Amino acid sequence: MPGPGPARSRGRHAREDDGAPTTAPGSALGSALGSAPGSPAAAGATPPALAPPGTAVIASARALVKDYGSGPTAVRALAGVDVDLRRGELTAVMGPSGSGKSTLMHCLAGLDRPTSGRVVVDGEEVSALSERGLTRLRRTRLGFVFQAFNLIPTLTARENITLPLDIARRPVDRDLLDEVVAAVGLADRLDHRPSELSGGQQQRVACARALVTRPAVVFADEPTGNLDSRSSGEVLGFLRRSVDTLGQSVVMVTHDPRAASYAHRVVFLADGALVAELHDPTSASVLDVLAALGPAGSTGPPGSPGLP
Amino acid sequence: MLTLAVRGVREHLVRFALSVLAVTLGVAFVAGTFALRQMLASTFDDIVATTVTADAYVQPPGATTGDPGAAAPVPDGAAAGVPLDLVPEVEALPGVATVTPALQGTGVLVGADGTAVGSGGAPTILTVLDPGDGLTDRVVGRTPAAAGEVVLESAALARSGLAVGDATRLVVLGELRDVRVVGEVDVGPATAGATLVFLERGAAQALFAPDGTVPSLAVHAAAGTSPETLVGRLSGLAADAGAVALTGEQVRADATAAVREQLGFVSAFLLVFAAVALFVGAFLIANTFTMSVRQRLREFALLRAVGASPAQVFGSIVAQAAVVGLLGSALGVAGGIGLVAALRALLAGMGAQLAGRIPVDAATVGVSLAVGTLVSVAAAALPARRAALTPPVEAMREVLSVRERSLRPRTAAGALLGPLGAGAVALAAARPDEDAATALLATGAGLVLVAVLLLGPVVAPAAIRVLAAPAVALLRPVGRLARGNVTRNPRRTASTAGALTIGMALVGAASVLAASAQGSTTALVQREVTADFVLRAAPGTTVGPTLGERVAAVTGVASASGLPVTVVTATRTDPAGGDRGAAAPLTGVDPELLGTGLRIQDGGTVAAALRDGDLAVHAALAEDRGWAVGDTLVLAGAAGERTARIGALHTSDGIGRTLVLPAADLPALQPAAAVETSTLLVTTAEGADPERVRAGLVAAVRPYVVVSVLDGEEFVSSLADQVDRVLVILYALLGLSVVIAVLGIVNTLALSVIERTREIGLLRAVGLGRLQLAGTITVESVLTAVTGTLVGLAVGVGLASALPRVYADEGLSELVVPWSSLGAMVALAVVVGVLAAVWPAVRAARLPVLDAVGQE
Repeated sequence: MPGPGPARSRGRHAREDDGAPTTAPGSALGSALGSAPGSPAAAGATPPALAPPGTAVIASARALVKDYGSGPTAVRALAGVDVDLRRGELTAVMGPSGSGKSTLMHCLAGLDRPTSGRVVVDGEEVSALSERGLTRLRRTRLGFVFQAFNLIPTLTARENITLPLDIARRPVDRDLLDEVVAAVGLADRLDHRPSELSGGQQQRVACARALVTRPAVVFADEPTGNLDSRSSGEVLGFLRRSVDTLGQSVVMVTHDPRAASYAHRVVFLADGALVAELHDPTSASVLDVLAALGPAGSTGPPGSPGLP
Repeated sequence: MLTLAVRGVREHLVRFALSVLAVTLGVAFVAGTFALRQMLASTFDDIVATTVTADAYVQPPGATTGDPGAAAPVPDGAAAGVPLDLVPEVEALPGVATVTPALQGTGVLVGADGTAVGSGGAPTILTVLDPGDGLTDRVVGRTPAAAGEVVLESAALARSGLAVGDATRLVVLGELRDVRVVGEVDVGPATAGATLVFLERGAAQALFAPDGTVPSLAVHAAAGTSPETLVGRLSGLAADAGAVALTGEQVRADATAAVREQLGFVSAFLLVFAAVALFVGAFLIANTFTMSVRQRLREFALLRAVGASPAQVFGSIVAQAAVVGLLGSALGVAGGIGLVAALRALLAGMGAQLAGRIPVDAATVGVSLAVGTLVSVAAAALPARRAALTPPVEAMREVLSVRERSLRPRTAAGALLGPLGAGAVALAAARPDEDAATALLATGAGLVLVAVLLLGPVVAPAAIRVLAAPAVALLRPVGRLARGNVTRNPRRTASTAGALTIGMALVGAASVLAASAQGSTTALVQREVTADFVLRAAPGTTVGPTLGERVAAVTGVASASGLPVTVVTATRTDPAGGDRGAAAPLTGVDPELLGTGLRIQDGGTVAAALRDGDLAVHAALAEDRGWAVGDTLVLAGAAGERTARIGALHTSDGIGRTLVLPAADLPALQPAAAVETSTLLVTTAEGADPERVRAGLVAAVRPYVVVSVLDGEEFVSSLADQVDRVLVILYALLGLSVVIAVLGIVNTLALSVIERTREIGLLRAVGLGRLQLAGTITVESVLTAVTGTLVGLAVGVGLASALPRVYADEGLSELVVPWSSLGAMVALAVVVGVLAAVWPAVRAARLPVLDAVGQE
């Protein structure tokens, strides 16, 4: 059920279908950041760089390390990641399986505690927060969209959307709710239970829920992982529009180049380290970078921090 | 596959433990109920076995020896008892070792502290030592040789605080007697809490056989004479005396049957309870397995994908279920017996001593084990079949949807049984005079209860939606989430609430019954008893004439009059042939009492009839027997016979459905041992100070230790206390079902938390705090508990409302619904709900948020 949004946005954004790199709306930022030297040239990717001082950063990580287990069987999922994610952008995090992209997102979102390093989200040092503080942070300043199981089966679509507000005992902003619901095109499905909605509709409800609190940043973990291409397009288009029209910041983990092409910027992880980034990506350019990371992904492109 | 099953258990220890717990609970409920029933029966069997020990008995035909209510109605046309003159003749027969006449009555033993020796409601039994049963040889000290000497049973001696050699008093037939303890004898646990006092035979004879007859003679055979031979030799003598000779075997069998029949109501009640327990236990177990199999569907799909056949998957699930069932059942049998042991200890604390051993008979263990295991296997088989047949691809899909079996057959069965049961109850209420009314009422009540359990999955969610409304409105979003969780699986919620529903149905019915009984008594007393004071003897004891004289002599007392009760044979003398004589209760009422201490309808007419030497008869009794005013009855008792005309009918519930004669006429009919006077109605003289009269009365009754002085209000509440005591066993059963219910709720919640791990993680991810999460689970638990309670109370109260209609004739005239105690039960349910939620809530709050996000 596409809302009126897609048509509008289609005019403003180039699609990955075009097969050509496009100029993103935030091109001024993009060009300012895209000047780092040394890159997998074919894809036009640049080595990952930290935002210059003064740039609006919504989430950042410094020397982020995450180990699972301990002793000789320990697995290092993140090996000292430094990354800045910008406000008002849709950032995609990509990488092969086991590259640590989900772990990075979980640490950024306060769902998991890093072994060492700092995480700052919207000016709040996440890595220093108590469990209570983390809950409050998630409740008030973060939005989530997961791959599956996004909705509480016993609540209607409307109740699912307003759930974070209910939890925080905040009043529902009717205008915002209407706007978000209209944008996801679910106005006529609001009283349905999740089991009565299609997979795409469920994910759009999840998106609406993530946005209705006006969070500082939305974290989306493989939001289209279980969807067909048409539903994926709807969800991704919606996420992008939320950035462009509502000024939302979105961080999305994905392994799908097509999904990544909706982003303003793509950062690539391999073996727990940030290895490349790409501005205004297309499916093709993302694939090129992934290919360059290649089977020997652990070595990474030149200039990238490898595993110790 | 075996390795897999074992690993599966090890991997999911909590889940496994919870499944075992479910089976344990269900089986404990069943085993406990069976064992309790068995224990009660065996306690009374023991009593029979230890009291009926002789090889042969001589007794009137149709009588039952060893019957606790030994003052049995006199059978038609037979001798009232066996003449004591027969004893020397029997002793003279060859092969007879000893002959002991049954001399027994109740009384009160005064302990070292000057109060009555007793425990709970158990009676104090005065009897004689039977030289034939071996007890005599076990007496420590010596046997009583004179009228003032007694031997005490060891437990009674311990309770009394007396020692062998001490002097004390005994209240027998309402009169005080000084006695000295000369010995003790240990009878064992078969006394069931009764205080046993052994008197010298002559003294007992004077007291309990003043007319020279006894209910029976116990005959022990000399060595080498079989009971059959003995009976053969006794028959002739017995027949001459209008009695029969029976072997001990026969008498024991009769006595056991009689006791069982008396216990029939308790026994039937417990059996129904056990059946319902079985029902709930089965639901609880099935519920657990359905959840457990559903949680592992993906694991089974993987097995199928790597080549396991459906039969192998099915087999592994069923094998696990069998192990869980067997283990759980074994623990359940132990648990059930443990519960009964606890219950017995509780009852012992209240003075009612039950059998020394907890019965662990093969039937209880067998049935319990079989039920637990079979129900487990059957409960697992259905979901296992589904798991085995689900195509692997479908089962491995991200979101598993398992269709619930249709509730329609179950609902249909409930919808059929419910009205049927309600109809039976209504029929019983509409025609209370039918003999079948009680059976109809019981069957109907059982059907309604089963129907409610069957309809649970339909009724519970509907009830919860209503109940949850305040929580949903006040506790955002906790209330809404909790409501959704509780109503999403109606079957599960209904089975979880089921145990509480049953317990509460019993409590609801019992408290309505108790309140109605109290209300009826209060109304009756307020209507009819106008005495200023009521002197009341403890149950099983009587007020004697001496006390009556002492009370009448108290300053300020205008009159003191008892209501002696006995049973006589009443035969109508009728030119047209007459009716067959039959036992009828007889109450002695002083004509002067009517209109002073006792005000009954048509009291003037009744008093006038009594003064004329006529009888008064309760209208209902007269109707039953086909008697009318003007008929002449022959009344026969052990002490004599008299003829009296029915001069008036009365309708007093205070006097009861009895014949009425002036109290002074009773001794001519029955000896003191056969007459019981439980109350003495006292009116004060005009202008007397009630407090001073009271003090005088208290001083007068003090030596009689068990007689209390009550004003009208206290009299009502003392009657109410009696009702409450009867309810104790019911509350014990409630305790059992509450324990089961709490554990059942804990089990379901804990499993449901495991099942909802990802959902909980999601909620936590979008900002639900730990306290809010714990709150959600607590609200779920409370909703379940309160729903179970309300449904149960509604059913119980509804069914009990029929009781006053059915038993109006037995004095249950008022229907009183005790709203405050029902309210307390609902409050208890809230507490139960909160307690049950503690562990699952803590578990849920500790779940890492990431479990939701991390895909399996």
